[in-house]
Amino acid sequence: MKSVIVYVEQEDGKARRIGSEMATKGADLGKALGVPSSAVVLGKGAAQVADQLKKTPLDAVIVGADIPVDAFLLDPAVDALEMLVNERGPSLVLVPASNSGKDIAARLAVRTNAGVITEANDIAASDGAVAVKSPKFGGSVISTIGFVGAENQIVVCRPNSFAARDEAGKGETIELSAPGGKSYPVAITEKAAQEAGKLTVDEAGIVVSGGRGLGGPEHFDIIEALAGALGGAVGASRAAVDAGWISHQHQVGQTGKSVSPQLYIACGISGAIQHKVGMRSAGIIVAINKDPNAPIFEFCDFGVVGDIFQIVPELTKLVKERRGVA
Amino acid sequence: MKIVVTVKQVPDTNAEKALDPATKRLNRSTIENVLNPFDEYAIEEALRIKEKLGAASTVTILTMAPESGRDVVRKALAMGADDAALISDSAIAGSDAMATAYILALALKHIGFDLVISGTQSTDAINCIVPAAVAERLGVPCLTYAKKVTAGDGKVEIQRETESGYLTAVAPLPAFVSVAKGINEPRYPSLKGIMGAKKKEIKALSLTDIGAESGRFGDAGSKTKVTSFSSVGARQKGTVVAVSDGRQGAQKIMEFLIDKKVI
Repeated sequence: MKSVIVYVEQEDGKARRIGSEMATKGADLGKALGVPSSAVVLGKGAAQVADQLKKTPLDAVIVGADIPVDAFLLDPAVDALEMLVNERGPSLVLVPASNSGKDIAARLAVRTNAGVITEANDIAASDGAVAVKSPKFGGSVISTIGFVGAENQIVVCRPNSFAARDEAGKGETIELSAPGGKSYPVAITEKAAQEAGKLTVDEAGIVVSGGRGLGGPEHFDIIEALAGALGGAVGASRAAVDAGWISHQHQVGQTGKSVSPQLYIACGISGAIQHKVGMRSAGIIVAINKDPNAPIFEFCDFGVVGDIFQIVPELTKLVKERRGVA
Repeated sequence: MKIVVTVKQVPDTNAEKALDPATKRLNRSTIENVLNPFDEYAIEEALRIKEKLGAASTVTILTMAPESGRDVVRKALAMGADDAALISDSAIAGSDAMATAYILALALKHIGFDLVISGTQSTDAINCIVPAAVAERLGVPCLTYAKKVTAGDGKVEIQRETESGYLTAVAPLPAFVSVAKGINEPRYPSLKGIMGAKKKEIKALSLTDIGAESGRFGDAGSKTKVTSFSSVGARQKGTVVAVSDGRQGAQKIMEFLIDKKVI
């Protein structure tokens, strides 16, 4: 292993928190492996993100501001990473568990003949080898996974898994320029960012979820209000998503996302196994449901049998009062 | 247009799953297998494209599974797919996601295609890396997480889910597309479809047929290995209170959150 490379995604000069989380973890792994660590950030706005990343203990930030990541789908990013891995020799590459991150991991692995471990929530290095912890089967089992005969190693990291640390590293900046005039087959023709700046359900420290008990899409506003007051994200059960009340990106559970926030508040969600496996690794689970026999009351830390339409808005008020934003 | 849909059999999503302590693999023997729910969207999308483009289009189902995988393929055929291919060989067992992608890509090359459609993930592994790895191996445009697909005239356009919304991307065929959950409402097989599926061909493909090189699949072809695992204890039941009004319920929750220092 000769290098640790952290791929940081950004949009309009802003990186999600997982960028700093992976940068910190990557720097620590670099030290443990005795190799240099660097982050790669691409596209317009990359320089701003590089400034943020220099607050983490990385050795260097590689900035490719003119790599055309906004014009072509993923090919430019895969090309840039492939070039870096080939240039630096055997590498450990960390990528975020976003839609694009997973695609990049898979494609880079094919090109560099790398092994890939996904859904990592911890990574350790000793004696030159990497051990990755990953929850399986809805968090009922934690697997420790290693690489076998893989010169290049790629780990897809779950948000909210590593602590980000402010501790400036060497602060070196390396410019990466795009080969001129190169075109790729998959063109991006339009971008729509309705939820720009909002926390995704798997990166938020607090998640407030709504289920069948909400009775209709119009009632998600009470969930959004509570999530907003707590500075968290909005989640949903399969029932709510399948009914078309909210988009699939918000779904928590087996056919949605797995989340492990410090606090999970389930509102009008019965707690079927399909939902449970997506949220049972949360720090604290609070449930509100009018059915005293709902399965969720069997595994929540605190449950209230009552009407979500009365309790949730009152709870939002109390949270705002406590935070002084009434 | 020749459309191939890759599908997977998975353990029933409503069952609790466990690892076999000896093999460190999923214990599949005690759980009923079903068609991966995400794949139903892929099959439906393929059928809709075929219906739109007309009779010259075909939909072929491809799966890599033990012989028992024929059952989930039958369901796909009953929904309306034309034919199917099954790669079944005990030597494939133990393949990780990248080794699986190697086999699928070879099989797709063998079958031939204009458009491959898959789900975004399976409910058992949830790696989400097989679609992009297959596309990369095939060297075709990779358009994943589609919540809308338009195919025809030698190209395919998708709306791709992103963390902050969506983007539109377009590429020439042949191409690989993975579709997101909720892109459509998958149809139920009709009685006629179920009867008709019994007569449709499920072609058996061997590793030799597709030209798989030894050492590239199964345990030997996998670059990752589970070294150990630990069970996470079941969550204990906490306090559950009944309340008479909303204010009281909210106050009880606040007291709990303050006590736990999460607020």
